[in-house]
Amino acid sequence: MSATTVRTRTFVQALNEALDISLARDPNVYLLGEDIAEMGGDFGVTRGLWAKYGAERVRDTPLSEAAIIGTAVGSAMVGLRPVAEIMFADFLGECYDQLVNNAAKMHYMFDGQFKASIVVRTACGGGFGGGPHHSQSVEGWFLNVPGMVIVAPATPADAKGLLLASIENDNPILFLEHKALYRLKGEVPEGHYTTPLRKAAIARPGKDVTVVATMKMVHEALAAASELEQEGIDVEVIDLRTIRPYDAETVLASVHKTGRAVVANEAPKLGGLAAELSATISEECFRALKAPVVRVAGLDAPIPFSLVLETYILPGKKQVVEGIRSVLRA
Amino acid sequence: MALDIETLVDLYRDMWLIRAFEFGLEREFKKGNVPGMLHTGVGQEATQAALAAHLKATDCFFPDHRCHGINALAQEKHQGDGERIMAELFGRATGVCSGKGGSLHSANPRVGNFGDNAVEGSYMATVLGVALAWQMRKQPNVACCIIGDGTVGRGEFHESLNMAAIWKLPVLYACVNNGYAISMPVGKGHASADIVDLARGYGMPCVQVDGNEIELAYAEVARAVDSIRAGNGPYFLEFKTWRWQGLFSGEFRPAEEVRYWKEDRDPIRLARQKIGAQSSLQAADLDRIEAEVVQQIETWIDFAKNSPMPDPAKATADVYVGGEELR
Repeated sequence: MSATTVRTRTFVQALNEALDISLARDPNVYLLGEDIAEMGGDFGVTRGLWAKYGAERVRDTPLSEAAIIGTAVGSAMVGLRPVAEIMFADFLGECYDQLVNNAAKMHYMFDGQFKASIVVRTACGGGFGGGPHHSQSVEGWFLNVPGMVIVAPATPADAKGLLLASIENDNPILFLEHKALYRLKGEVPEGHYTTPLRKAAIARPGKDVTVVATMKMVHEALAAASELEQEGIDVEVIDLRTIRPYDAETVLASVHKTGRAVVANEAPKLGGLAAELSATISEECFRALKAPVVRVAGLDAPIPFSLVLETYILPGKKQVVEGIRSVLRA
Repeated sequence: MALDIETLVDLYRDMWLIRAFEFGLEREFKKGNVPGMLHTGVGQEATQAALAAHLKATDCFFPDHRCHGINALAQEKHQGDGERIMAELFGRATGVCSGKGGSLHSANPRVGNFGDNAVEGSYMATVLGVALAWQMRKQPNVACCIIGDGTVGRGEFHESLNMAAIWKLPVLYACVNNGYAISMPVGKGHASADIVDLARGYGMPCVQVDGNEIELAYAEVARAVDSIRAGNGPYFLEFKTWRWQGLFSGEFRPAEEVRYWKEDRDPIRLARQKIGAQSSLQAADLDRIEAEVVQQIETWIDFAKNSPMPDPAKATADVYVGGEELR
């Protein structure tokens, strides 16, 4: 098995490969969630796995999100490695207690006697008219929870490598899959490989300004960087990849180098990832900064249904370009 | 079906251990030696002793809010160091969770104690996963989840019973119905004051037991555990009982109700009468058992008091497995 053979795959296919490899390699791995078995999941991520591994290990559940996460955690307490699917991230409210009060605290409050080695995959993000309960960016809901790990890939290759790393890790991991990326194609190495957790990637090196982004916003930032390149502005784009705990070293080193920072996150600005990154950069790089940090984020409203309204709420390339221009002006 | 006298005396001793533990703890709590909150299981000793008697160290139980007794019993029975439960409640480094868990988060998987969760009913979801793992591995273990009547109001109650039923999981639901969820009477808080009525729709055996009669509780737990080990799926037991502890502000229940349960229905007194009627043991023999247990608990309290406090530097340890680097 060689990890050097690279093929073009969609984000969904890359995730499917990671699950397939995990199920084949480790008998302790199993999947559970709503309509993930014969149907293959709402977005097709588990397609074909039920037929290959059977109903015991690719397990359909009722609409019981709390029981899904509880089952995952309980089975991890005795050594299994569950991968739970919560169909839409918006439904995490139904199992918030299970994740925050149980999974995230278990290793700590029981003094290391149990590990909640679970992966919770979920589809997040807006842009397709999903409306208020099928479109949210939920990382902020979990950002303030010690013990929780939040992973958020932006490319098919990272989707596979990070999912494999997450399944093999002993911590409770919320694995965010942005719906707008599911059909994205990219080069994906064949076979088993892992992408390190808590390690950001420099998606595009540059020297004038740092843009720190996650998931879909990485692509918006890359598009903004290409546009500004024609004006001679050299943008460095950092793909955070793991949101909690995050790779502050890579972020801060970049800002120390460029002296200017934009943070781009789809969720509302108040209390979110953009706020956290901005605060840490301001604290740690104050003397290196040539301009105040700019946050590019969603507007402070629920996600509306009509695409005209939704487009108005969510940040994109245009807002990232404006943000970069504003830190360059100062 | 009468129990043999040796088993009955053992259970009597176990019940006294629970009561002495709680009384000693309450005394120390009032002196300010025990931090946090205190929910005692006095009055509910028979259900805890019956469960502890039948669950093996290789089974598991998720303890309820009034769980010090079964935690201590399991710790003492399987590992011989019940004092570490006491030390945990005192927040000491020698506690089963090194002081990080306390009264509502004491755990020790080596004795089957999978930890309480102070959010009532949360572990009703967790127990499913333990049971599922054992079912997948074909291990004939019992995953027991001890809940109060108040827990029935939680959504997890229904999610859990439903999923245990459709997957035929080896779960023992032990509902300790002590009549009140803090101040809410069970008949006012739920559509039925008999919790078995609410559980029956999920199609598992549902049995209501007099939770203050140790012989009955012991026999019903045995039947349930045997059925689960035989692969028959989940089983629901409701123990009708009553808690002696009132509210933090004092007693709120009618005086006659209090008198009835404390004098006529005290599980320890009932067991004592039974032993007296069925054996040649004299009151003095039973008094001696009681005195021995009380003495044992005092040594546990001394152990806890004399144990070191945790190192404050450990307050940030073990947040992540493998540390912040997630290794």
